[in-house]
Amino acid sequence: MPFITLSLLHCGKLTERHTHVYGFLFKFSGGGNPFNNLEKSSVLQEARTFNETPINPRKCGHILTKVLYIINQGESIGTTEATEAFFAMTKLFQSKDPILRRLVYLGIKEMSKIAQDVIIVTSSLMKDMTGKEDQFRGPAIRALCSVTDHSMLQSIERYMKQAIVDKAPGVSSAALVSALHLGKGSQEVIKRWVNEAQEAVNSDNVMVQFHALGLLYYIRKTDKLAVNKLVSKFSKHTLKSPYAYCLLIRIASKLIEEEDAGSDSPMFDFIESCLRHKSEMVIYEAAHAIVQLKNTTAKDLAPAVSVLQLFCSSPKPTLRFAAVRTLNKVAIKHPAAVTACNLDLENLITDVNRSIATLAITTLLKTGNESSVDRLMKQISSFMSEISDEFKIVVVQAIRSLCAKFPRKHNVLMTFLAQMLRDEGGFDYKKEIVDCIIVTIEENPEAKEAGLAHLCEFIEDCEHTVLATKILHLLGKEGPRTPTPSKYIRFIYNRVILENAAVRAAAVSAIAKFGAHCEDLLESCIVLLERCQLDTDDEVRDRATFFVNVLKQQQKALSSAFILNGLQMSVVGLERALHQYTLEPSETEFDMKSVPLATQPLVEQKVRDVPGETPSTRPAQDKVAASRQDVYQEQLAQVPELANLGTLFKSSQPIEVTESETEYYIQCVKHTFSNYVVFQFDCTNTLNDQLLEKVTVEMEPAEGFEVTKYIACPSLPYNKPGTTYTLVRLPAEPTQVTGTFACTLKFLVKDCDPQTGEPDDEGYDDEYVLEDVEVTVADHVQRVMKPNFAASWEEVGPENELEDTYSLSTMTTIEEAIKNIVQYIGLQPCERSDKVPEGKSSHTLYLGGVFRGGHDALVRAKLALDSSGVTMQLTVRSTDPNVSEVLATAVA
Amino acid sequence: MIPTVGFNMRKISKGNVTIKLWDIGGQPRFRSMWERYCRGVNAIVYMVDAADQDKLEASRNELHSLLDKPQLQGIPVLVLGNKRDLQGALDEKELIERMNLSAIQDREICCYSISCKEKENIDITLQWLIQHSKSGR
Repeated sequence: MPFITLSLLHCGKLTERHTHVYGFLFKFSGGGNPFNNLEKSSVLQEARTFNETPINPRKCGHILTKVLYIINQGESIGTTEATEAFFAMTKLFQSKDPILRRLVYLGIKEMSKIAQDVIIVTSSLMKDMTGKEDQFRGPAIRALCSVTDHSMLQSIERYMKQAIVDKAPGVSSAALVSALHLGKGSQEVIKRWVNEAQEAVNSDNVMVQFHALGLLYYIRKTDKLAVNKLVSKFSKHTLKSPYAYCLLIRIASKLIEEEDAGSDSPMFDFIESCLRHKSEMVIYEAAHAIVQLKNTTAKDLAPAVSVLQLFCSSPKPTLRFAAVRTLNKVAIKHPAAVTACNLDLENLITDVNRSIATLAITTLLKTGNESSVDRLMKQISSFMSEISDEFKIVVVQAIRSLCAKFPRKHNVLMTFLAQMLRDEGGFDYKKEIVDCIIVTIEENPEAKEAGLAHLCEFIEDCEHTVLATKILHLLGKEGPRTPTPSKYIRFIYNRVILENAAVRAAAVSAIAKFGAHCEDLLESCIVLLERCQLDTDDEVRDRATFFVNVLKQQQKALSSAFILNGLQMSVVGLERALHQYTLEPSETEFDMKSVPLATQPLVEQKVRDVPGETPSTRPAQDKVAASRQDVYQEQLAQVPELANLGTLFKSSQPIEVTESETEYYIQCVKHTFSNYVVFQFDCTNTLNDQLLEKVTVEMEPAEGFEVTKYIACPSLPYNKPGTTYTLVRLPAEPTQVTGTFACTLKFLVKDCDPQTGEPDDEGYDDEYVLEDVEVTVADHVQRVMKPNFAASWEEVGPENELEDTYSLSTMTTIEEAIKNIVQYIGLQPCERSDKVPEGKSSHTLYLGGVFRGGHDALVRAKLALDSSGVTMQLTVRSTDPNVSEVLATAVA
Repeated sequence: MIPTVGFNMRKISKGNVTIKLWDIGGQPRFRSMWERYCRGVNAIVYMVDAADQDKLEASRNELHSLLDKPQLQGIPVLVLGNKRDLQGALDEKELIERMNLSAIQDREICCYSISCKEKENIDITLQWLIQHSKSGR
């Protein structure tokens, strides 16, 4: 225990102090951290020692260290306490002891945000930063900048400028970095230090040069032209510092990204030239920047990849790791380019560093061909137990992309995943595996049974409620449609006996789905559910009772509506509607039709994360967020003229009705209500010498439509977005739903001073022609996912069925036809029928949704490809005859 | 000469005597903090600009409210009227009257008229400080 020995040595006289030291010995005899178990109040009490004279630097240093320790442990200290301790600490400026003084600087920085009146140390720090003691100067600058507020910044400006160009590198760096921190509060002052920063860039010190370049960039960051000049200047003028080079590469690649430029950009030439730099750090940075760029061809990538390839055989583990990690990332986007490195990656499989080995194998899995999968999987399973969860997740992600790439390999991969599920691992890791299996099941029908079997085995011993409920939901959805649904029931019912309430409830819902879907299992399911009615938990009992009663009716439509199809309302909207209902007591029953529908995201297939990139920090998607439409509903309710229109049925995506770089920038959103459409125009005035007032968008209505109200935007100053609404009544004739509207922006212009924004008193009327806005069928329907389309199809029935055959001669593929149909009709593709199996020449597309007014709408489109294009047989079912007519004619 | 922002600590040694000086800023935002640095000291030196008669009243009020603090009871006070070299600067008697120093009864109080620029009466000031140092008592 060196700590104790040291104390003994320093104590010297073993008179009254030795008891104290033995106390120490006793307390820490177990070794470990001497600062463990510090109590905030006693430490702050001890800090009063700072007020005593003469100062004992050793003792005070120790106490101050304790204060710093508790702050860094996240202990929160009240303003009064902190201020008290802070002022006591300022007394320590009496001592010239260098260790104590530097601790004081740290103390000032740590407490500057929690104590009051911290500017009291300004003069003392200014003395230190200009003093003779070089080891005080840098830290004093950093402490000074942390206590300085805007009003004081001017008074230290002169000293900061001097410090930036100081000969001592530590001082100069401290001033430059502190300037960056100050710049976050007030850019204006920092801008005046640009000359000093320029001078510091010429420093011989690598750190000073790096920090100075950082400050220069920060000052000019918002001015793209200036940044361009900066890069082109310093890319010629040879910088000494490799750090500065790396920064310049990052700035250059950001510019390329922003300008959407390709390899013809001079910035790219600069980055490319850095591949031949003598410092490995710079070479790596350049290679990394090039492979990350968006618009690159195989030719541009080649030199960067060959540099990384070289690094793969470096004796330095850091370089090998960096290279293989970068190759792993680009393997998805540019597999061909990475294939060139396969031989080197093979060598890394046996690397002593397991992180490098894992990344090498997963990269090979991404780039390799089908035949090598078995070999690589075997190799990786030999050391799965030796790597951390984080890298195991990398492996799972690699398998996930393999499953998509080589569907025929699902056997090997599924077995491997199942093995991983059985092994130890944290939640994130298990979740990743489960997600991977689920995605594979959904994409590949052949893998379905094996996958479900593995998941069934997993929930037999699963400690994560979230995963168990997710899997039970999946079993309820997919299980009934397998050849032998009965074998899943045992696994599900076991959960009812063994698990916690949340899992039991999920299991009950799953059993009900089997009962609703499979007639031969109905009897047994009812028996099982009746047993669940004796459960100890309310929710489980309620669900069981509800399902038993629905199932006993033996009506397909009823089962479909209440068991197979879930809640189609927006949860946030339902909550709001119910709250509103309880606020205003009324005799009438709560009307479910008044609740807005849950909006299906437009792109169902979410973009996959790039494997290897912070896999564990993805945002949780389980949280119920207010949808875009809920936000609009709220916003429209604020406008008194639009308050009585009823429930918002649908809001369209914003459409631009001006070119983006014109005088006025305007977007239109169409909001559909039962009998009205509200056109919301979000306008931005991009002219700094004009103030617009009384802004409206005048619309030339299509036949049958009627403009009933304009709600003007009272004032539209430069660069402050404003909104104007136009209210249009829909035609009385129910089948007339589409039309084109000519739009004109009308307003009163007042010229104003570009500098002050002061407008003239007098204005004049003006107008500006906008692009036409169209109301389409898609504006009248809301997408609703029907998980079991066949059941819903039966539920609606053939009463209002319409059928017609069309020849889509302009379409050359079925995929193209599907894309267009979905766009025109605006309904939700169900059961993944928007994906066409490869090589098929006929396909059936199922679309589901709800038409304005709450009428269910289902569409079945049978598509066949032949030499003359695509032929489509379109069948529409709806609860309303007019809706069927509208939808049937939408494609024509 | 720039005003003190916060405080400055200075140690001055001459012969056998060492004086630790806490120079505390006089701007309004620092006045509430004076007391923190006056607790437990051997003497309080209060410097006023004797030629700036407009500020004298504020200066008097600040001094009295400082000395009213119970923690500072009994600490000797030396009031210095600086800039005696300027025309119209107040002398000791006028200062004592304008600063209402005779009202302070609970401690030793003294007033000198000095000039930092011309180094006038610095010697008697130092003398007073030495007398009131710990060893001088």
